[in-house]
Amino acid sequence: MSSDQTDKTQTETAAQEFPDAANHKRLKLEDCLSVFIMGVLALITFANVLVRYFSNQSFAWTEEISIFFLIILTMVGSSSAFVRYQHIRIEYFADHGSAAKKWWFSIASNASVLLFFVLFTVLSLKMALDDYTYGDTSPAIGVPNWWYSMWMPLLSLLITWRLAGIMQDLIKVRPT
Amino acid sequence: MIASILFSLFIVLMLIGTPVGVALGIAGTVAIVMANMDTYWYGLMAVPQNFYAGLSKYPLLAIPMFVLLGSIFDRSGVAARLVNLAVAIVGRGSGMLPMVSIMVAMFLGGISGSGPACAAAVGAVMIRSMSQAGYPRPFSASVVAAGAATDILIPPSVALIIYSILVPSASVPALFAAGMVPGILAGICLIIPTVWLARHYKMGAAEQDLPRPPFFKSLVQASWGLAAPVLILGGMRLGWFTPTEAAVVAVFYGLFVGMVVYRTIKIKDLSLIFREAAELSAVILLVVTLAGIFAWALSTLSVIDPIANAIVHSGLGEYGVLALLIVLLVILGMFLDGISIFLIFVPLLLPIANAFNWDLVWFGIILTLKVAVGQFTPPLAVNLMVSCRIANVPMESTIRWVLWLVAAMLLVLLLVVTFPGLATWLPRYLGY
Repeated sequence: MSSDQTDKTQTETAAQEFPDAANHKRLKLEDCLSVFIMGVLALITFANVLVRYFSNQSFAWTEEISIFFLIILTMVGSSSAFVRYQHIRIEYFADHGSAAKKWWFSIASNASVLLFFVLFTVLSLKMALDDYTYGDTSPAIGVPNWWYSMWMPLLSLLITWRLAGIMQDLIKVRPT
Repeated sequence: MIASILFSLFIVLMLIGTPVGVALGIAGTVAIVMANMDTYWYGLMAVPQNFYAGLSKYPLLAIPMFVLLGSIFDRSGVAARLVNLAVAIVGRGSGMLPMVSIMVAMFLGGISGSGPACAAAVGAVMIRSMSQAGYPRPFSASVVAAGAATDILIPPSVALIIYSILVPSASVPALFAAGMVPGILAGICLIIPTVWLARHYKMGAAEQDLPRPPFFKSLVQASWGLAAPVLILGGMRLGWFTPTEAAVVAVFYGLFVGMVVYRTIKIKDLSLIFREAAELSAVILLVVTLAGIFAWALSTLSVIDPIANAIVHSGLGEYGVLALLIVLLVILGMFLDGISIFLIFVPLLLPIANAFNWDLVWFGIILTLKVAVGQFTPPLAVNLMVSCRIANVPMESTIRWVLWLVAAMLLVLLLVVTFPGLATWLPRYLGY
């Protein structure tokens, strides 16, 4: 956002201003987890088809595990998608106009997202602590609920951390 | 009062470029706080609870599986072989390559379920060969973007899965069956102006001199790709698989075809494919779950019914309201992708649809058609963005071509509105 490059096509987005190569190293944790979870989800679901085909049984507990992985996948993938600017947004107004305007728009939107995830970290921590205190157990497997919900504040913290990093990069490139 | 703050905050956040999901989440959270100032933690515990509950739905698993399926088939080399087969069938001549692009995009629509992914797969194969054959790049980009828009109508479709999660009475198989006829109709309506434009402006003169691939060899090579939609749709129809399972079976089939048969996917590509699919799924699912917070805030404020009532009794009548909705959603479709539009607007539109006694499956197809039009209407069309990037042309240059295709697709929309049977006949015939 610092440079005043002429937009060759109208499709230039902030994404191109952050080299992806640097992100590959930076996002190793998210990327490894994403690949792993995606693979596990595919394997569990496929195993379910096979087991049902051969034994006319289906195991309900896999549903609970799959849902848990779905939540983890959403948060981990969202984290790297923030850094890579992959989230669905209206780019038109944010990426047109003077460098200063674009910079202020990015600062404002990133600050809003950052604040939201700070709050979300606190709230999901509270939810996990409540699960721990009241000792609720999960419907299908019967393990304590906090085994699942404790990952939400942790991953929300990871997202917050990444967003703070984006903010830091943005502040550095303030147009003069 | 709180409701207007909810909407204004959301609109401002969207305009400054905040991700849709987070904009929904923030607006919902602020509304929850304002409505619960005197309760425990300001009612904020609803935020993580709705986030958790929003994702704790087993049918949502279909989304990462269909996204993964799309990523695999995009790289499996199926598209290039389908192009060969299609060229072998229709032959060479002015307008034939663009026609093949649309046909292949429609066919890939029967495997993957998202427009931009399809535009990328078809664009990568077709745009270069079309410009070599003498078609202007902006024209090629327009054709690919429009063809790929049929993707969200032709089953399987991620947009229709989302609609079904929002409207449980419209089942996924019923929606998939209902999208079939309008999707194919849309493809045909796009092919006609495409071929006419190519002939009228004498494009693709060099195409006649290109070799025509041998039919049987092309058929054998493409057969692995041709079998995929049969496996997915047939397996669901015969009751072998649920939609999610059909997707995962096709994922392993696609991996087999890509890694063993065509050898276009190497082991080291796997992590990239999986990572890309995981990230894209997360992007979709984040909007799904944060839209849940927004919808929850809306429902506790009980503003939906008064708004819906006001619209229903506004004196516009059934078709007036429908026309208004079409204009509104086509405009929104230029700015936003279909999934976000569904998540934001279906909860608002459902009471209206119910008040007029509209068939909810038909209504879903109408909404999807509107979104499909928006996907390639400049200036902010997602599919056109992808195909213009591949063709390396600015989006403005496509306007003189793409508007013809937009008009063709709007005609299909009009047809499905006028003759609801186009959408409702097949699911009824199949007994869904």
